[in-house]
Amino acid sequence: MEPITRRHAIAGGLAIPAAAAFAGTAQAAGTTEIDLFFPVPVQGKLANEMKSLVDRFNGEHPEVKVTAVYTGSYDDTNLKTRAAIKAGQPPAAVIMSANFVREYVINGEVDPFDSLIEKDGKTPAAYMDNFWAALKPNATVDGRVYGIPFQNSTPLLYYSVDAFKDAGLDPDRPPVTWADWVKAAKAVAKPGGERSGLMFPATYDYCGWITSALVMANGGQYFNHDYGGEVYYNSPSAVGALTLLDKLVNQLKAVPPGVSDANACTSAFFSGRTGMMVLSTGSLSFVRENMKTPYRVAFLPKSVRNAATIGGASLILPKGNTPERQAAAWTLINWLTSPEISGHWSRFTGYFAPRRAAYDLPEMKQYLQEHPDAKVALDQLVYAVPWFDTYNTVAVRKAMEDQVQALLSGKTSPTDAAAAAQKSADELLRPYVEQTALKAVG
Amino acid sequence: MRADWRLLCALLIAATAVLWAVPFLWMAMASLRPGVPADIASLTPAGPFGLSNFAEAWRSGSFPLWYLNTLLVAGGILVGQLVTITAAGYAFARLSFPGRDLLFAMFLLQLLLIPPLLIVPNLGTLVSLRLYDTLPGIMAPYFASAFGTFLMRQTFRAIPRDYEEAAMLEGASIPVLIQHVLVPLARPGLIAFAIISVTAHWNEFLWPLMAVSSPKNQVLTVGLASFASGAEAGSAWGIVAAGTFLVAGPLLVLFLVFQRRFVSSFVFSGIK
Repeated sequence: MEPITRRHAIAGGLAIPAAAAFAGTAQAAGTTEIDLFFPVPVQGKLANEMKSLVDRFNGEHPEVKVTAVYTGSYDDTNLKTRAAIKAGQPPAAVIMSANFVREYVINGEVDPFDSLIEKDGKTPAAYMDNFWAALKPNATVDGRVYGIPFQNSTPLLYYSVDAFKDAGLDPDRPPVTWADWVKAAKAVAKPGGERSGLMFPATYDYCGWITSALVMANGGQYFNHDYGGEVYYNSPSAVGALTLLDKLVNQLKAVPPGVSDANACTSAFFSGRTGMMVLSTGSLSFVRENMKTPYRVAFLPKSVRNAATIGGASLILPKGNTPERQAAAWTLINWLTSPEISGHWSRFTGYFAPRRAAYDLPEMKQYLQEHPDAKVALDQLVYAVPWFDTYNTVAVRKAMEDQVQALLSGKTSPTDAAAAAQKSADELLRPYVEQTALKAVG
Repeated sequence: MRADWRLLCALLIAATAVLWAVPFLWMAMASLRPGVPADIASLTPAGPFGLSNFAEAWRSGSFPLWYLNTLLVAGGILVGQLVTITAAGYAFARLSFPGRDLLFAMFLLQLLLIPPLLIVPNLGTLVSLRLYDTLPGIMAPYFASAFGTFLMRQTFRAIPRDYEEAAMLEGASIPVLIQHVLVPLARPGLIAFAIISVTAHWNEFLWPLMAVSSPKNQVLTVGLASFASGAEAGSAWGIVAAGTFLVAGPLLVLFLVFQRRFVSSFVFSGIK
């Protein structure tokens, strides 16, 4: 699989100057300049790593000149991309939070990849088989490919070996079910805030991601993946998941009350002030580099079934670019998602590599052997479920997040929270529902 | 009794000052601690200390370029604003023309608009002016300032007309009058405005993020965010703190050096 991209690169490099020589009208330099918007969802040095990757690409591909533009967080990147499209200056490619892709499709602001894939002599379905099947739902809409997975994650349970031993638990047997989980959190927690049993980030975005994983682990769907106008916030599976949180935080006091962010979780984990934390696989490298005492990772515990929400980002093609720019962006996207680069980025960040063939490369096999925690993240993929994506994704997501945050602060009950979240989500979805599902036919 | 009150006030103010200083103290402490120490929240850590965070932060970005760009943007905006607010402030304070008060009210209405609302229309304007992805593009929307115009109008109105009348008797034209009589008298107001303007634009994040894309046009805040923000993982606090110091440092130094002048300007202009 891997030599294909190389050969492509070489062929492309030769073909374009030759074409330019024949067709005298082509640009003098024969290079297409494109820009790539990228967020840095993990840690700062990734920004530099991304720039050096793009430099390497530019060196290997004289026919394309890419400028990597750092665009803030996932949300800032979304805002800037949308504003740039509206202002008529669309970037050629964007690394976009995978759950925003659907909304771009609904708004008609992205082009599908299908024709580019077909031009390379593949069917879109065959092309998507290059990636883990779990990533497909957030990358395709209505059978067309709108996102090429670049860096992906699932939530993991990180736990401290010392805290488990101290609490009389066996670190080789992490909690598997919710009942085990509650028991472990209770055992690990020490009163007076000296050590919590469990922590997880509940800031916007993270909160919805983890909540949806819990609801799905409780057997639910959380949202209608096939139709962006429905969410299932007030379902038994959702109320059950909220009840678990209520129990851990408000009754057992095993989780600190209120909203913690990812930094608070890692700081507490590193300093032994929490025995477990739920965090993205994208944090693996950061935790590995900074945790001084032994730790392990495990699947997110299950209630009815194992479920791990997909997170991370895909590459998209904003609408309004010339065919030349799109072709150049396609070359870049193919390179960035090639097994070699995909694996390299995965080892550097902790994200799992979306490209399946990345794991056939020797350096990746060696990496998994040296770092069994990365293997757990990969194994959990079997239970991966799609990421929340609806019409007006952020606002609808926040409808539940606001309620969860209130619950974590002890200001509401699980049933009230579920009902209130459903009510405000339905209101937010109504314009879309009225244009689609409820639209009078004929 | 009176002395007691004064003591109480002093204590309250001191307590507020300490409270206000804690984040800075913590930032200073964190920036001097290499790695990711477990007791990062501590204000009285044992060490070790070192400057490696600053070195790392400096290496992580193109700080000289970012300083230059930020200086050009904040300075350029200020120069533009000082000209427009002086002229507009004078017009609203002294000239009489039909619809003056209505126009002034409409001017003030701008203050009610939240800037993010204008991002897309402003970007559209920048593109048609060919200012998208340029430093003047970052500055353009700020050349006129409703707040500054209001402030200068009030400042000019507080100046007795006698000065102007005397100058007019000497045959001064309006530009000469503004330049040689009113501006020197209004200096405290202008300085107060300058502080607010420079601080705001030095620290601004969202608009520069939207208006420019090329790395060569990047400003400090956006550059800092490229290694300070971490949504899916923890941050290396020390490096973030050091980077924040590099960004905020020039303003802090400026404030410490000119503290007395700044305070008297604020007192004079009535901004608190």
